[in-house]
Amino acid sequence: MASMDAISRNLMLDSLKEYAKRRIPYDLIRELDEKNEFPADILKEMYDRDTLGVHLLMIPEEYGGVSGGTYDIYRICEALARIDLGIATGVFATFLGTDPLNVGGTGEQKEKWLKRIASENLLVAYAATEPDAGSDLVNLRTRAEHVVKNGKIAGYRITGNKQWISNGGVADMHTVLAMAPGGPCWFIVEKNMEGFSANKHEDKHGIRLSNTAGLSLDNVYVPAENLIGLEEGKGLLQAQAVFGYTRVMVAAFGLGAGEEAMEQAIRYSQQRIQGGGPLSDKQGYTHKLIVPNYVRLEGARSYIEYTALRLDSGEHGLQTEGAIAKYGASEWGNKAADDAIQAFGGYGYTKDFPVEKIKRDIKITCIYEGTSEVLEMTIYRGRWQEHLKSRGRYYLDMADRLDELHAKEPRCGAHAAALGLRALGAVLEECRAQKLTRHQHVTFKLGRLICAAETAAIFSTAAGAQKYAETVRFDREGWQAMARVFAREAALNTAMEGLALVLGAADSGNGLADAVNLEAIQTEQKGMVADMDLVAAKLKQTFKAK
Amino acid sequence: MNIVVCVKQVPDSTEVKINPETGTLIRAGVPSIINPYDHFALQAALELKKKHDFKVTLVSMGPPQAKSVVQMGMALGADEGILLSDMAFAGSDTWATSYALSKAIRKIGKVDMIFAGMQAIDGDTAQTGPGVAQQLGMPQITFCERVEVDGRRIIAHKQIDGGHEVLEARPPVLLTMIMHKDYTPRYPSFLAISASLKKPFHVWSAADIGAEAQFLGLKGSPTQVDKIYPPPQREKAAMFSGSGVEGMQRILQIMKAEHFLED
Repeated sequence: MASMDAISRNLMLDSLKEYAKRRIPYDLIRELDEKNEFPADILKEMYDRDTLGVHLLMIPEEYGGVSGGTYDIYRICEALARIDLGIATGVFATFLGTDPLNVGGTGEQKEKWLKRIASENLLVAYAATEPDAGSDLVNLRTRAEHVVKNGKIAGYRITGNKQWISNGGVADMHTVLAMAPGGPCWFIVEKNMEGFSANKHEDKHGIRLSNTAGLSLDNVYVPAENLIGLEEGKGLLQAQAVFGYTRVMVAAFGLGAGEEAMEQAIRYSQQRIQGGGPLSDKQGYTHKLIVPNYVRLEGARSYIEYTALRLDSGEHGLQTEGAIAKYGASEWGNKAADDAIQAFGGYGYTKDFPVEKIKRDIKITCIYEGTSEVLEMTIYRGRWQEHLKSRGRYYLDMADRLDELHAKEPRCGAHAAALGLRALGAVLEECRAQKLTRHQHVTFKLGRLICAAETAAIFSTAAGAQKYAETVRFDREGWQAMARVFAREAALNTAMEGLALVLGAADSGNGLADAVNLEAIQTEQKGMVADMDLVAAKLKQTFKAK
Repeated sequence: MNIVVCVKQVPDSTEVKINPETGTLIRAGVPSIINPYDHFALQAALELKKKHDFKVTLVSMGPPQAKSVVQMGMALGADEGILLSDMAFAGSDTWATSYALSKAIRKIGKVDMIFAGMQAIDGDTAQTGPGVAQQLGMPQITFCERVEVDGRRIIAHKQIDGGHEVLEARPPVLLTMIMHKDYTPRYPSFLAISASLKKPFHVWSAADIGAEAQFLGLKGSPTQVDKIYPPPQREKAAMFSGSGVEGMQRILQIMKAEHFLED
């Protein structure tokens, strides 16, 4: 679906934020976190079509929804994550659970179920994971057997166990992945069906406001009309078809929670006086704990937006892009939240300050909807193919485009980003020549380098554009400085780590130091500290002490 | 009855900073909101609409993005929205703004009640609402807390120094509203926001409302802003409760800690 107009989107964001301000104060969140309690009344109210109706974003207008696009959903997910990642996960589970219907449902099924989800404020769960099948769904054990009446398949009997299901214990309906005789498929299972039960709510490290439970399906009878798409064997394809944008949603969670933690630290640092001045004026504080994190998250934001806009323009799949968006945002968000605790010192280590909870919550973004390691593999696989197909030109061509941009916009970090991409191209080529991808370690590490180098390219491109997105809260000077800091760091890491990776795995790495052009990348570091000073000042100006 | 509500988009003043060197507002990253007093005025009008089935039309003036406050009002229940947007309006002071708004209201036709916020939080002048009434030759009641309608009687509860005043008027009348718990601002649901796109919304230029250029914008504005500067910061006062003796002990403690007194 294409995204909606900016005014409508921002009004929805305002309504959501205002609702949270009035109904979900931090004291309540803290209490629920402590009690490990799912706030059913709040979720129901958030789904109430006259109050908010946040779930309607995923439902097309013809079925009673508001037809949100990926960009809209990213913005809402980011805002939800800033409120509470557990509540965000509860909403996300409904988004995910609705997905198989949106992607694979017949017109009649959409008419029936999407309309019901919209009008009855149904909580939905997405039940794919099993005790022995996490990211690797090929091991699926849940079975769906035919029930034949009068020579026709009248329904299915489903038996199996599901694990780590968000909304599992509270959802009104579940989309359940099971192996039918014709292959994996999605079924709609309602909570009151005989033989269906939810296990206890898990006692988790974080996102404790999100209900997570295992499900037992003991010979649950499901009518044939509940088979999504009415065709067996399409389940995995239907699941994969949405990874591009479901991962954008989790990326938005990492971004929202990570930036929220940082912004709280930035405000705090202006009040906390140490050694005769506020922490916000001390490089030892800002340039270690704040600036690098915030810059990485803004990089992740630009990559999320780039992917969301491509999906909204009608492109399909974008699995590698979705993986890059999620991997970057969740890993950098997690690191930012960790540093936010450090930035608050002893206070950050207590539950009186929200950064402690954000740190526990955000870790899940590195785990669910594809662990970071699965994503490293996905990113590597996708781009390795591109590297081979283009005979090593993939990143060199991208670097050429960045250099063209640099000629027009010399201050957006495009040159550093181009250096990083050329270094990446050289590392990939060396891995190919020496057959180093036989080492799994090499492939996963390449996934990591690819994520940073590509994000630098997209960040610089966004910072060099004439018009900025509605989400940019800094002036041109500030945002370009952020893009430069990101691109320099990414280029240096790509060259150094790439070099170390090849030298560690290969018989010889002679000549690679020249190929990655380490000297030019080091020269490009000039001005880094001044840029970090500028970014620190802009952050202070934007997120002033309350 | 036909009601017009005047609404303004303002920068969220809690987030606005002033550049101390240039004396200009730093707008980057500052969110725009509906002027809070206008939000109460809007709610007051919508309550009357709900009760008496009146028609509510919103009028705002500003750049194209000010459509946002008009659309929000329509999502909350207003029937129609009008945005006066034209470079000719840029830089208008309260006089020029009330001139433009009054021209637009004349174009709307028969209007029985006009609601406006008491003042906008960006300029704090409280002049535009009364200015519109003056331009239209219409009576006005300012600083209203609550408004009721009984047939053709408009009953306004007005806040005055040390008390309240209840005034009655016949239409047409302009009312400016203060904040009151009966009109606590609501925010629209996602569905209502989406549906508001289908309500009639018009953008009118200076030519559309027949406004004369000489009375608009900077050159039509008798007020000239010389300088903006933040008020000098006052030290925060600390408040203590307890008995007099406890209070004295606390003050002594602080004076010692701050080295005003020797131990």
